Amino acid sequence: MPFWPSHVGSIVKRVTAVVAIATFAVAAQAGPREQAKRMHDRIAGVPPSDTVLGAMATEIAAGRTQAAALMAMNHPAFYAVTLKNLVTPWTNRDQTVFAPLNDYTATVIGIVRDDVPFNEVLSGDILYVGNAGGLPAVSATSNNHYEQLETQGIDLRTGLQRTTQSGVYGTPPAATAGVMTTRAAAQSFFVAGTNRAMFRFTLLNHMCRDLEEVQDTSRPPDLIRQDVSRSPGGDARLFLNGCVGCHSGMDPMTQAFAYYTFDDTQGRMLYTGGSVQPKYFNNDTTFAFGFRTPDDQWENRWRRGQNALLGWDSALPGTGAGAKSLGQEFGASDAFASCQVEKVFRTVCLRSPVDATDRGQIGSMTSTFRASGYRLKQVFADAATYCMGD
Amino acid sequence: MNRSVNFRMRILTVLSPVLLALALAGCGGGASTAQNPITSPPPPAGYSGPPPVSQDVQSFKLNVWDNLQASNRCGTCHGTGGQVPSFVRSDNINFAYEAANGVVDLGNPSASMMVTKVGGGHNCWLAANSACADQLTVWIRNWAGDILGGTRNITLQPPPLRDVGASKSFPTSSALFGSTVYPLLTQYCSRCHSSAATTPQSPFFAEADVDVAYAAVRAKINLDTPAQSRLVLRLREEFHNCWTDCGTSANIMQSAVQSFANGVPVTQVDANLVLSKALTLYDGTVASGGNRYDNAAIALYEFKTGTGTVAYDTSGVEPSLNLTLSGAATWVGGWGIDLRGGKAQGTTAASRKLHDLIRATGEYSIEAWVAPANVVQENSYIVSYSGGTSVRNFTLGQTMYNYDFMNRSTTTNGNGAPALSTPNANEVLQATLQHVVATYSAVDGRRIYVNGELATGPDPVTAGLLTDWNDTFALVLGNEVSNDRTWQGVLRMVVIHSRVLNQAQIQQNFDAGVGERFYMLFSVAHLINVPQSYLLFEASQFDSYSYLFNKPAFISLDGAQDPDQIRIRGVRIGLNGAEARVGQAYVPLDRTVTAAVYEPTTGFGLSGIGTVVALDKGPAADEFFLTFEQIGSNTHVVVEPPPTPLPAPPNGIPASQVGLRTFEELSASMSEMTGVPTTTTNVADTYNRLREQLPTVENIEGFLSSHQVGTAQLAIEYCNSLVDDAGLRSAYFPGFNFAASAATAFDTPAERALITGPLVARAVGTGIATQPSSAEISAEVDALIGRLAACGGSCAADRTFVIVKSACSAVVGSASTLLQ
Repeated sequence: MPFWPSHVGSIVKRVTAVVAIATFAVAAQAGPREQAKRMHDRIAGVPPSDTVLGAMATEIAAGRTQAAALMAMNHPAFYAVTLKNLVTPWTNRDQTVFAPLNDYTATVIGIVRDDVPFNEVLSGDILYVGNAGGLPAVSATSNNHYEQLETQGIDLRTGLQRTTQSGVYGTPPAATAGVMTTRAAAQSFFVAGTNRAMFRFTLLNHMCRDLEEVQDTSRPPDLIRQDVSRSPGGDARLFLNGCVGCHSGMDPMTQAFAYYTFDDTQGRMLYTGGSVQPKYFNNDTTFAFGFRTPDDQWENRWRRGQNALLGWDSALPGTGAGAKSLGQEFGASDAFASCQVEKVFRTVCLRSPVDATDRGQIGSMTSTFRASGYRLKQVFADAATYCMGD
Repeated sequence: MNRSVNFRMRILTVLSPVLLALALAGCGGGASTAQNPITSPPPPAGYSGPPPVSQDVQSFKLNVWDNLQASNRCGTCHGTGGQVPSFVRSDNINFAYEAANGVVDLGNPSASMMVTKVGGGHNCWLAANSACADQLTVWIRNWAGDILGGTRNITLQPPPLRDVGASKSFPTSSALFGSTVYPLLTQYCSRCHSSAATTPQSPFFAEADVDVAYAAVRAKINLDTPAQSRLVLRLREEFHNCWTDCGTSANIMQSAVQSFANGVPVTQVDANLVLSKALTLYDGTVASGGNRYDNAAIALYEFKTGTGTVAYDTSGVEPSLNLTLSGAATWVGGWGIDLRGGKAQGTTAASRKLHDLIRATGEYSIEAWVAPANVVQENSYIVSYSGGTSVRNFTLGQTMYNYDFMNRSTTTNGNGAPALSTPNANEVLQATLQHVVATYSAVDGRRIYVNGELATGPDPVTAGLLTDWNDTFALVLGNEVSNDRTWQGVLRMVVIHSRVLNQAQIQQNFDAGVGERFYMLFSVAHLINVPQSYLLFEASQFDSYSYLFNKPAFISLDGAQDPDQIRIRGVRIGLNGAEARVGQAYVPLDRTVTAAVYEPTTGFGLSGIGTVVALDKGPAADEFFLTFEQIGSNTHVVVEPPPTPLPAPPNGIPASQVGLRTFEELSASMSEMTGVPTTTTNVADTYNRLREQLPTVENIEGFLSSHQVGTAQLAIEYCNSLVDDAGLRSAYFPGFNFAASAATAFDTPAERALITGPLVARAVGTGIATQPSSAEISAEVDALIGRLAACGGSCAADRTFVIVKSACSAVVGSASTLLQ
């Protein structure tokens, strides 16, 4: 039971009010110590110790803000709080932050910690597992390992170890696609349905765009599956003015996931290489003349038309087989890089870009992000520097 | 045969069901005739001539002669001694048979001269010529019987060669229509052609909402030739409710349409395109055929009429159970009715035939092509033979994603309950065009098939007899007869069969599809060196707003041709002078016609994919053509314009530089401030209980008082754990005597500073200008401690601990922690 002396409440309020006023009153004056404090708060989510504050202030005073930011990133809370809460909403359909630690989140945290190029997040054969004693074994059929990792408060800065999905889960190496083929992602986005959820949420979480923003009715509809009604409720205008806009681009790319599903009974992702999942033929009589998925060949129809503005990599072919190459297609786009930067910017600056200066900063940080080999820590450092106050 | 053009006609002889499916799915194969068709009881009296000389003559008599010999049909003129052909003469049935043979085509009943003549307006005995033609087709088909069961010939008619012309398309906005034609329509037509009229008559082109009216009027206006608009012809030639003399009314209407048309720019065809010849839908070869299984059909609605308020029963089974449309019921392009609260209901007298014929067999099937408007309507009746919400013979209904089937039998109550429904989890009902068949027999009970597949499990109700059926009920579509079970959606076809359709028959009817289909031959002979070469599409009006193009193939109607190495790439469908903007499914097409694969009878299939293209003026006026990026050696390079960069968004409202710490940041921060691990049992329990009460986003504008309450509670728990742990507290507050009573432990400023000092240093920080002043906070907490310690010498034993915890909580739970 919480300790709650009856007379303390009013005192707390009085002290709180005084402190709040004082905080706002001096917010505009920021020297190295103030900048260090804010930088640490924003990066680690917690206030710095006096020692760290002093060291960071010294670096800032010397113009080495990046070094100061890295000091803040050395705090365990950067991994256990900031990164975890940044990533957790990406891993479930409700986009809730109140979800247990899972392999998706842990893998992203590990990628950031080890400076693995972040554009591999959607394509690599990579997995991070806990290496502390007393944890249940990591399993393809359970999230218990990760939940215990969180419950036991294990320092994720040191308690994560890199391994491979193919080694731990037995997924064929060529069928691994970064976080898309983690157990948590499969459980959320490959379960039931038609696998379009994986496409939509990947677009949402890693390209920072929902389908409404990318719909383009001018793309050919020949690869739209049979389950999409061409005359919803008897009115084809709905299809021609709405549905086709998303499905003409989404369905050709979602084909990449044709061999994946999540088996609720076993509690694990299944990969049936060479055999298209039956869910791809759900409601196949709705429009029998629609596309019938024969394999996992995908094609990015959004390389032309308005969505060419997403900045696809011209060095890649724009087509492929399976989730891994689709993840590479996403990972190499301008939209992917700027999306990561925007997310970090919001996390650190506590707001979205609002004006031309902010947007210019996003552009500059995106360039640096790519030039640095997709190091996300670099983005945190840049954002913290930009928003540390002056 | 079309003799007006110099093309050899080709006959596609479909040799097997497989080829049929590949080449011309849905058009071949006549109805099998395992059972004798239902004919109207009782047979007409009056024939006393020689008996039929053969079974075929007998079949002719039963199916055609009996139905046509009445004086209000063909008997008056084509009877004994009447006009030739005297196919309903009553003196000798065998002579009548001979006469009839000259005006029927048993291989293609709908193409019989007898049918086309009546369908063209020759003494139809119903209000709609098409309904007479359909009834007659059924009777002839029934006569033909199993003659149709074998190979079926589809004759591709070479279309007239027409270059793609400049054309006018309806503008997107209704503004021009609203200022030209619409005022006339609202003034003179709204008493009927508006949904608010006392007796609403579709189409609602005089609707109060100009956009609705504009959508409805398109098929009635000919922008290229205003004088040929139905709005004008209806007045000038058909004298339909003219408001002055009809010539004047027509001229006024034509003038208004002309004004509208004058304001619409002509769409010129891009001269650089590689173009096929042009076609309208009706230039195509009709692909309709007797492929459905309808031998036990006793009521059949194809909704072909497209106007008026009667949906005709064209089953050929007398009496015709025609349905009257009422309420919000409109006709749908490409055959169908759209019910949005209205209904289509027959009389109880005519409906009685369902009772009589179905009770006689003890089994039946309800078959319908439906497009539910949504998946949220409940207790909505699609097809019902009933007398109200509590009494019925049968009902097919919708409850959200499920079809429901109620049948009254000796094992159910009078309302046919409990209903059999498709399983919730399967969600088989979708808001799209579906083929649904509900069957009932005394053996299998109730079953529901959707799109050819059985969608229900075993009927939980034991099957019974239909002996309790009531013959005073009425057949009604889209509602209950009492108007309180509204169903919203489109019905494209409804059939009541007096037999159970088996799986194969259901599949056959599903495969046959619904609506009128055409084979459209787009001539490309002028582009490649292959005479009479075409791109063949199966096309139909898909709904009121679109066309379906399907299964393109390359074919030459010159059987001597053996085309080879013709590359066809980037095919686009053009409509009224311009390429359709949406639905271009054949742009990625890249195939090369090779002689090795080309079949003279079926051509060279280019794709198995179908696509829908938006309707513009209507099937009679919309002119289609194809464009090619490459066909043979003709090429046209299509360069997509570069995407337009998005403009920079406008600047947002400057955001606050500070924000809230979120839930886990607060906990981690308090852990930092107090040195108590987040995994401490009491702390973890409190945190897990409170975390959703704490801030979840940093935005300071989202701050709520509950956030502060939660923060304070969590702070108290951390401080409690700190002070209760001897090791932690002595390290945190070095030198402070926790064993002393409250009266002595805090009685000097130095002692109180042992508490306030560490708290301010660790929880607020020192030397940080953006944080609250240390002195100010210390003074406030010092005063707090002083007040709490003043308990008049009667302090509880643990008062010292309580005071430290309170001081700690006040600092740790303050805004300096909550804000970042």
